[in-house]
Amino acid sequence: MKKATTEKRLFQYALKFKKGIIIGIICLMIATGLELAGPLIAKKIIDDHIVGIEGAWNEVEEQIDGNTVTFQDKYYKRTDRQISEDKVLGKATLLQVEKNYYLINQEVPLTGKRAVTGNQVTIQTPDGPIKANGQKLRLTDLAQFIKPEKRPIFLLLGLYVLLLFVAGLFQFFQTYMLQKSSNQIVKKMRNDVFSHIQRLPIQYFVNRPAGTIVARVTNDTEAIRDLYERVLSIVITSFIYMFGVYIAMFFLDAKLAALCLLAIPLIYIWMRLYKIFGSKFNQVIRSTNSKINGNINESIQGMPIIQAFRREKKTKEDFETLNTRHFTYQRKLLKLNALTSHNLVTFFRNITFVVFIWHFGSFSLEPGSVISIGLLYAFVDYLTRLFGPINNIVNQLPLLEQARVAGSRVFELMDEEIEDVNHTQIPRYNGHISFQNVSFAYDDEYVLHNISFTVQSGETVAFVGHTGSGKSSLMNLLFRFYDPQKGKVYIDNHNIKDWSRQQVRSHMGIVLQDPFLFSGTILSNVTMNDERISREQAIKALKAVGANRFIEKLPNGYDAEVTEGGTTFSLGERQLISFARALAFDPAILVLDEATANIDTESESLIQEALKVLKKGRTTLVIAHRLSTIRDANTIFVLERGKIKESGDHHELLGQKGIYSEMYQMQQQGARVSLT
Amino acid sequence: MKPTVFSIFKKLDWFFKYYWKRYLAAILALVFASTLSLIPPKLVGFTIDHIQYHTLTEKILMLVIVGYIILAFVHYTVSFFWDYTLFSGAIILEKWMRSKLIAHFLKMTPPFFEKFKTGDLMARSTNDLKAIALTAGFGILTLVDSSIFMLMIVAVMGFTISWKLTLASLLPLPIMALIMNKYGAAIHARFTKAQEAFGEMNTGVLESIRGIRVVRAFVQEKQDIERFSNKTDEVYEKNMAVTKVDALFEPTITILVGLSYTIGIGYGANLVFNQVITLGDLVSFNVYLGMLIWPMFAMGELINILQRGNASLDRVNEILDYVADVKNNKDAQVIGEVDQIVFEHVSFTFPASNRKSLDNISFQVNKGDTIGIVGKTGAGKTTLFKLLLRQYPNFKGNIRLSDVPIEQIDLEQLRDWIGYVPQDQILFSKSIRENIQFGKEDATDTEISRVMELAHFLKDIQQLPDGLDTEVGEGGVSLSGGQKQRVALARAFIKDPEILILDDSMSAVDGKTEANIIQHLREERKGKTTFIASHRLSAVEHADLIIVLDEGKVIEHGTHESLIQEDGWYKEQYDLQQLSRGEEAFE
Repeated sequence: MKKATTEKRLFQYALKFKKGIIIGIICLMIATGLELAGPLIAKKIIDDHIVGIEGAWNEVEEQIDGNTVTFQDKYYKRTDRQISEDKVLGKATLLQVEKNYYLINQEVPLTGKRAVTGNQVTIQTPDGPIKANGQKLRLTDLAQFIKPEKRPIFLLLGLYVLLLFVAGLFQFFQTYMLQKSSNQIVKKMRNDVFSHIQRLPIQYFVNRPAGTIVARVTNDTEAIRDLYERVLSIVITSFIYMFGVYIAMFFLDAKLAALCLLAIPLIYIWMRLYKIFGSKFNQVIRSTNSKINGNINESIQGMPIIQAFRREKKTKEDFETLNTRHFTYQRKLLKLNALTSHNLVTFFRNITFVVFIWHFGSFSLEPGSVISIGLLYAFVDYLTRLFGPINNIVNQLPLLEQARVAGSRVFELMDEEIEDVNHTQIPRYNGHISFQNVSFAYDDEYVLHNISFTVQSGETVAFVGHTGSGKSSLMNLLFRFYDPQKGKVYIDNHNIKDWSRQQVRSHMGIVLQDPFLFSGTILSNVTMNDERISREQAIKALKAVGANRFIEKLPNGYDAEVTEGGTTFSLGERQLISFARALAFDPAILVLDEATANIDTESESLIQEALKVLKKGRTTLVIAHRLSTIRDANTIFVLERGKIKESGDHHELLGQKGIYSEMYQMQQQGARVSLT
Repeated sequence: MKPTVFSIFKKLDWFFKYYWKRYLAAILALVFASTLSLIPPKLVGFTIDHIQYHTLTEKILMLVIVGYIILAFVHYTVSFFWDYTLFSGAIILEKWMRSKLIAHFLKMTPPFFEKFKTGDLMARSTNDLKAIALTAGFGILTLVDSSIFMLMIVAVMGFTISWKLTLASLLPLPIMALIMNKYGAAIHARFTKAQEAFGEMNTGVLESIRGIRVVRAFVQEKQDIERFSNKTDEVYEKNMAVTKVDALFEPTITILVGLSYTIGIGYGANLVFNQVITLGDLVSFNVYLGMLIWPMFAMGELINILQRGNASLDRVNEILDYVADVKNNKDAQVIGEVDQIVFEHVSFTFPASNRKSLDNISFQVNKGDTIGIVGKTGAGKTTLFKLLLRQYPNFKGNIRLSDVPIEQIDLEQLRDWIGYVPQDQILFSKSIRENIQFGKEDATDTEISRVMELAHFLKDIQQLPDGLDTEVGEGGVSLSGGQKQRVALARAFIKDPEILILDDSMSAVDGKTEANIIQHLREERKGKTTFIASHRLSAVEHADLIIVLDEGKVIEHGTHESLIQEDGWYKEQYDLQQLSRGEEAFE
């Protein structure tokens, strides 16, 4: 099945929180609309009520409403305020010349340069100057003429302020809703990726540095946030705005508008072209970011070695290679953005205007051509308006592309095949284990060949053999970290493949050679914050393995802080804690993978004692190099190159004089060699 | 301390001082490009006027077209220049800061890494640097827009129309500055928390992945997902707290700009009516006010960006300002060779503890000696080595090498002398060859196979699919415990150090291998000092001096023979181990 494109999947995530996004976009539109209303009101105030008092007036017979002005016992009224009841006595014009106002008792043109000498006002018109007698108004007189305007100015300003606050309110909710939705989407995405990670096969983690996986869960999802916060809403509103401009243009001049539709394929081609380069650069940037994370993690984990072996310089060089690559590609992307985006839009706009000038200019040069100047101005206006949203859309391309590439990295992880999960409880099994004709390979080469053995419940068995003999692989199969290619594994005569991995593991415990502690407290490392394990149980387990000896000396005892990786504790102490962890969960099957290698003999014997006590109803599997630690096992299996070569208890095996006996003798010799 | 808005520029002055030419050029180009962009509307208007008045000639038309085309190209070039130059500054800063961070990490010792978690350090090196870089790019752009352009427009308004009106309509500006400052402080505080939450989330994911086997084995997936979900909730909450302030910026500016308009028009009308300014002036004033909208918004943006950058810079500087716990003494001495190593009344308590991990330890090691250190888990064996490696400062007493106090010895020289095999087998995700070459950069394959023989690793390497080129994976995941330990041993052997420290580093190899390795060691290390800590006494039997530690104190010391005579802890353990190991063999 072909997976949906990244764009589509990013959009599907948006749909999950569409309510917030839609509300946000509606708020954005309302706020933008109200904001546009602001300048319109300002224009109305200036045009109608400030500039408007200049112009044609009538002298009327009597004062019948608030719009009538009294001046030197005569009544005047603006012609545009004339009502039918008014009896017009004569024409007049109010003009501002320089800063002073003049009342002229005749109709004069309002355009043209004005001058005044004494009481004579001169107006330059294309048809020659017009002279008229005017009367200079004193401030108190002018106040009369202004009086009718004051109220509407106040009202309009009031309306304006009111709209501002409403617009502000919508703006707030626009930002709030969009950011809220984008944060919700990113949170959901992170939770989804993380849940997915918890279901990926162990193999996935073997091949990838932890830091690089982290980058996908956190950094890449962060890079997507802008998409929902800004890009989506800007692109949608810009398209709506463009649509509006197109409608208006079609009313004005259909041919012209059709021509301007060319902008749409242009944007499309632009987006495609940008994608080709932008996506290449972004991919390098994102993957390098991921590697930088991986590198930092590994450097910090290995810092004691880096410093002890004085490899700081080399480590820094390795890091700088990544840092420089990150920088180089960021810079390439930057160059691409500076060459395209708003700079190129401005360039195209300028070229469009050049074509416009050329077209109409040459047309006007042809004899007998008639051009509507109004149309020209409207054209200029709409072109300017059209380029606004195009600019907005193009400016979002870098963020869009970044989100797309980051998204593809997130989805790539989410497309990794996962294991089935079933947490339904199964009753505690007895721990009877049986491997039947099991063969297994990690990749091509088989590491286990046709292995069969049985462990009775309650028994302790040990697996010995050289490195690479397949001991750990057996444990991997038992835990279903991996599944065998051939053969079957049974627990209590139940094929473990019929259980989910979680069910198989639910009654197992393991102590790894490389004990891992989580940051938290000693107790939280034992209980794993699982409410089934009480504080008392955890302390009991810690005491059983003798960890109380060092824990009780710590300032906070069992609640002592464990820092990242438990580095403040020695390896032996960490092994004790992880031993207690396995015991606290009271497993039916306990696996010890070289679990006591770094623990002193005293603690080890303490653990052996504890195990004996807790052994009832528990099957214990031990992997060990030290044959001395497993002498008490009911059965010892000797593995070599993925095959069971010998089995039996310690005495039987010694009696067989085979591999085990040889190994045992050699270890004894070894001990004596060092004595000499 | 209350963070002031512009303090980030002060904190980054080293950067801006270094790149002042770049920034000056970018800003000049930006101003030039903006000035150029005022011309096209005039050109269009000019042409339309000519068309209207039928005064357009072919010559004028050609002139306009050619002029406009040239202008378009020049504008594009200049715009590209400022854009590329200015924003390059941002990514240069990001790269530089990241270099500084890694260089700093490389100087840090364990106390630092116990205080700051890896995931958080990763977040600071990526996520926080993004916010800082924004300051050096977009921040500067908004700074120019909100200062230079605003001043230019205000000057034009004041000089050509009326200062009285200009100042009156700019009255909301100081109020805006005040409010923005308040918002800025809130953004700073909240953004810091959001970034912290991101760092914690990063740490959470990293731990989950590193501990994935434990999580799976104990079927803790659900709880782990739950835990992570709490972290993402936290990040969400903290980001929403930022959003609540962030969303206030735009409406506040809209309203205050609107009030400027209101004052401008209201008071402007009054001035017109009082015959102080002309109608035309008021119309122009209105146009200029319109031009002021973006610079005012830029001011808001500026404060928002600067405070975020500031918050992130503080987080990064917290790291950079962390003084290395262990650093080279100013008058560090370079000494010829290591002779004696002396511990004199050495006591040490870990920073987060109140219990002495080492208590009054004294012993002396002669050049060429092998020293065995044994004792229970947590007795202080590793701590002793950590002090010798100078991983921790502030111990009491004296540690002297060739009679020079360890603090006085050049750190690099000290580390040069020591070869270290830690308990945890730290390997790097490189090939086995590269991992061994860590000990000696130019080691040849012949040298490598020699040390592998010493570490008893030759047989294993033949079984590995790609031999020396086998990639070991992160932390050496693709090798078994025993293999990892032997690679780590080979790495230390190839260095052929003056002092070799083996910290329980053969625990995962079998007894025969261990005996072989020790046999090799004894031959190889003649005349050189070797420390061996181990739980298996067989590993230290041959030592010239064996020190038995218990709870940080030396409880016994001597040679194997003398300790057996002493009949103490050592004898007891030895018997126990001999018994368990030998009872059958000697039957």
